[in-house]
Amino acid sequence: MVDTALGFIAIGAGLAVGLAGLGTGLAQKDIGAAAVGAITEDSKMLGKALMFMVLPETIVIFGLVIAILACFVLPGM
Amino acid sequence: MFLPESMSRIVIVGANSCIDKTIEVLYGLENVHLIDHTVDADEGFTLGTPRPYSPKTAERLLKVRGLEKDLGINKHTKTQPISESELRSQISSDSVESIESEVKVVIDKRNDLNQRITELNAKKKNLELLERLPIDIDMYSGYQSIVALVGTVERDPTAAAADMGELYTSMDKKEGNVVAWFVKNDDRTAAQNILSEHGFTEINVPEGTGSVQANLAIVRGELDSMERELEAVQKETEELFEKHKHFLRASDEELAVESEKGMLPVRIATTKYTFVMDAWVPTPEAGNVKATVEKEVDAVYVSIEENRGRKVEESEKQEGRFQTVPTKMKHGKVTKLFEYPTLMMSVPKYNEVDPTVLISIFLPLFFGFMVGDCGYAIPFIILGAYGLKYAKNPDWRAIATVLFFGGIWAFIFGFFFFGEALGMHFVGPEEFVEGTVTYTWAGLLGLDNLHNFFGAFLINGHGVGKIDSEYVGMLLRLSVYVGVVHLAIGYLVAIYNKTVQHGFKHGFKEKGGPFLIFVGVVLVGYALGFNMIMKTLSGEEMLPIMVVGILLIAIGAFLVLKTEGAMNILIETVDAFGNILSYTRLVAIGMSKAGMALAFNYIALGMIAGVDPNPAVGGDLSIIMVILGLLIFCFLHLMIWTLAILSGGLHALRLQLVEFMIKFYEGEGTMFSPLKFKHVKTISDIATKEA
Repeated sequence: MVDTALGFIAIGAGLAVGLAGLGTGLAQKDIGAAAVGAITEDSKMLGKALMFMVLPETIVIFGLVIAILACFVLPGM
Repeated sequence: MFLPESMSRIVIVGANSCIDKTIEVLYGLENVHLIDHTVDADEGFTLGTPRPYSPKTAERLLKVRGLEKDLGINKHTKTQPISESELRSQISSDSVESIESEVKVVIDKRNDLNQRITELNAKKKNLELLERLPIDIDMYSGYQSIVALVGTVERDPTAAAADMGELYTSMDKKEGNVVAWFVKNDDRTAAQNILSEHGFTEINVPEGTGSVQANLAIVRGELDSMERELEAVQKETEELFEKHKHFLRASDEELAVESEKGMLPVRIATTKYTFVMDAWVPTPEAGNVKATVEKEVDAVYVSIEENRGRKVEESEKQEGRFQTVPTKMKHGKVTKLFEYPTLMMSVPKYNEVDPTVLISIFLPLFFGFMVGDCGYAIPFIILGAYGLKYAKNPDWRAIATVLFFGGIWAFIFGFFFFGEALGMHFVGPEEFVEGTVTYTWAGLLGLDNLHNFFGAFLINGHGVGKIDSEYVGMLLRLSVYVGVVHLAIGYLVAIYNKTVQHGFKHGFKEKGGPFLIFVGVVLVGYALGFNMIMKTLSGEEMLPIMVVGILLIAIGAFLVLKTEGAMNILIETVDAFGNILSYTRLVAIGMSKAGMALAFNYIALGMIAGVDPNPAVGGDLSIIMVILGLLIFCFLHLMIWTLAILSGGLHALRLQLVEFMIKFYEGEGTMFSPLKFKHVKTISDIATKEA
């Protein structure tokens, strides 16, 4: 039985990272396209564009935190 | 250190007769930021006109730049400096003009030759095509009732042509298909239609008589002689380049300086006999500027009008053009390197904290924590030091700065906290744990005395494992604490900024609300986290912390409601929570790299080289496999190392620019840009003066 519970935890952790990653990807897709456009116009925008580019990565970090909590904290509870 | 340099406004008044001398002195001071005079700002004053020597200088500068372009002289050309007095006497004795006429002859010849060579080449190309048809050149033209359609085609038109007129073709896939079709004038349109269906492009048949071959030989001969001529001209150009490069580079600089000085009067106010300049100077320099200008120039008086404070009200009282005060960032040698990330956002305002110092503390620290590995840190330090020594481009210098200082932190964390290099701990637990695939340097190299050395100061004798379940919780909490401290500094700086601009009461009312909400969220988060996840806080202990937290959120919400509206309460609360969690990336990125390193180490050392993770287990190792394993080991770690620059650098920067600076930074200031020249050392006595 313990194995099943661990398995579910692992699936949950995977989903947390995976879905959050999808969300980040969706957001970055648009920003990336706009950023490339802006850089083509003015290469000085590179710094700012890169910053905007990594903004949505917070989302996947949240997913990762949940996954880490699920993997390392839940089994002990 | 935190606020930009304080500024004083000065007014320089003088007689028009000494305006040149004044301009000279101001440029020499390199500390005077001129305020542009606006038309009708003061009654009786008009904008000045360029100095009398200015048009001539500008014209000469244009000529010099044109000559430099013709001769291929650019800023990378190495030249010997010329003394200023010699340069001036040469320029005033019309050297520029004489060089121009000398160079013009050669350049004209070169252009002429180039053009004729292009024409001849086109002719040669056509003749080479026609050479394949058995028709003499003069046979193509001079008819009354028939017309010749000559050109290249993509496909053979023979079948479509039927027996209309006379068709000559020569098909060659590599050289191109050429056709010559002689048709009656009446059939011309029909023939053209057929040809255009076969991808026809007309070519010009050169004029002449005799066979195509003979004509081609003449053209080739002409081309040869012209190319020889061109070579001679090129040599002449090179001689001119060598002869004049020193003078042209130096006079470019000299004339640019002169023409900028000559144009300065159009930015200041003048009357018939006097001129008035308004300018900002750094307050500590104001006395010096006044003394120097008055000493050097006779009929000029400098008055220090005001030492501008930071209060917004004080600036708003002033006339429009005196309201914006330029920002001179005040930094030491090291913090100056970190101006780049600040300027990436914007120039700080005169009356707000310049975040550069804070960035210079936290940016390398965060980068170092995320890398946290001696093996990656050492190349970072070397590369960064190399970049700082040799790189000139500001982008590369900024990257080198982060790599160098971040590398030092990475080494410190890697050595004293994580105790690892290239994803492997220096020493492992005393007893090998069965089933694990982790290597240690002590085990790999068989150095047991490493245990004595590292065991003395590392946590648990072997350092913190980034992906050990034992430490993950601790690392996550640590990163959240770092976030709380960093964000709290951000919120406090926001209150400080507003205090500087409007006074504490106003500052707290405007920026205190978000800060209280933040502290409240931290307390509530702490209570809930330690009660529900960590289970180290009982319900009774938790309650008072919760109450205080909620109370603080309520007070903060009230303040925010009064200043920014109800919607912002929700935004601030969610923001505070989200921003704190955002700092867990400090661990997450370290973990991801450690995870990759663990897997790569096992692939390279365990699976390919065949080394058992347990140092007690010996085994026969094949030398070839060990070498192969080490090569793959190097390659894979190079990959992680490169990723570390990207992810570590970007995320460390992002935490500064997004989470941290958004709390307080407004920017959009004006950069302090004093009158001065960047000398490029083409003029010898200025170069020595600089040194």
